[in-house]
Amino acid sequence: MNVNIEKENGVTIARLEGRMDTPACLEIAPMFESLEAEASGVVILDCKDLAYISSSGLRLFLSLRKAAAGKGGDVIIKNISNEIRQIFVMTGFLNLFKIEG
Amino acid sequence: MVVLDAHSQMILEEYRENLPLFREAEGKIVESIKAQLNEAGILVAGLESRIKSEDSLAGKLELKGHKYKSLADITDIIGVRVITFYSADLGKVASAIDRLFEVDWENSVDKRKLLNLDSFGYMSLHYVCRIPGLPYKAEVQMRTLLQHAWANLNHDTGYKSGVEVPKEYIRSLNRLAGLLELADEEFGRIRSELADYRRRVQALVASGNLDDVPLDGETFRSYLNVGPFDRLNKRIASINQAEIQEVPLMPFLQVFKGLRCNTLGDVARLVKEYSEHAYQIACYQMGLTDLDIISSSIGPQNLCIAILLKNGAGKHGLRYLFDALNGESEGNDMLADMIIEQAKDLPFMNQ
Repeated sequence: MNVNIEKENGVTIARLEGRMDTPACLEIAPMFESLEAEASGVVILDCKDLAYISSSGLRLFLSLRKAAAGKGGDVIIKNISNEIRQIFVMTGFLNLFKIEG
Repeated sequence: MVVLDAHSQMILEEYRENLPLFREAEGKIVESIKAQLNEAGILVAGLESRIKSEDSLAGKLELKGHKYKSLADITDIIGVRVITFYSADLGKVASAIDRLFEVDWENSVDKRKLLNLDSFGYMSLHYVCRIPGLPYKAEVQMRTLLQHAWANLNHDTGYKSGVEVPKEYIRSLNRLAGLLELADEEFGRIRSELADYRRRVQALVASGNLDDVPLDGETFRSYLNVGPFDRLNKRIASINQAEIQEVPLMPFLQVFKGLRCNTLGDVARLVKEYSEHAYQIACYQMGLTDLDIISSSIGPQNLCIAILLKNGAGKHGLRYLFDALNGESEGNDMLADMIIEQAKDLPFMNQ
């Protein structure tokens, strides 16, 4: 699992690649903490190459959303696959995020 | 050019020497008013402040310098204006100012009491207060937003500039003042009636007389407070021993309205009738996963899906639901197709 974080025109973009299962989430948790530090602005989670998301991954997304809400920022999820969209809808997470593409 | 006598020059010099102290006091006064209003739960439309400019003071001294023995006799070296939304809040703000500062009642004015019964005009409360720690005075003006608008517009017309204004013009201004006074009262009345409505709705929701409660933003919010979807959410959570993340459920108001619910009673009947179906959808979707986190919107979401499926709303209906909840997106088409496909295996669709 890789998380590549870049900043473009003041917007933080995190490109997620691979399977976001529980062991991978433990590994990338510090990177999400650094995203939370940037959460007063816009954070884009580009999920084009994200193959799977577990409950642990949903928790990381949720924690980032809470941090952004507390700081007046925004989290936008881009390019999610149909499989991940299904996970979002079956857990009731879909309407918690701005989802684009 | 302003020409001042020696006495007025001394007052002006005293002003210049103390200017840094006034600047410091201005900030402290504003902060203490903000804190006091906050503590009293009074929401205001604006809080402005200024220090009297040297030009303004010089002009005042030129006109009536003999009236002032020293700078301490000028009542508005610092000026603060508190602008309220409602006229009913003026009294509360005045009381907060009274608690905060030593008010010079001799120089303070409640213009609301000075107006004749047959005339309208700029109504405002002015309290002259002692600046804490200094032997000088500040003026705190308290107005409603509409009084503020009237005073500003009136000032802009030059009504008080000393130039004679035609009577018709004054009459028009007074008519406007009367209209704004009426509007101020109306806003206050609407606020009181809304508060009453809120209390009545809460009582009806608490008593269970939901058929008497029309479905709107206010009533739905009260209804959500009694947790109408809690039981369903807990049942769904039990499938995978999931934790429930509480999220706002107000977006479902439009969905239930779209499902032709006119009262909270209509919503409650749908919850009762379709909860089992909503649970079956969750079992089908989550039963083979290890997902152990859900949001509290899953119950009402699945409930709406079940209602749409059972009533033959098809893909179009499901797309409407997802668009309403998640915003319009092509991905919602895929979700609608997925649900239609799953529906073939759902027990309640085959009964």
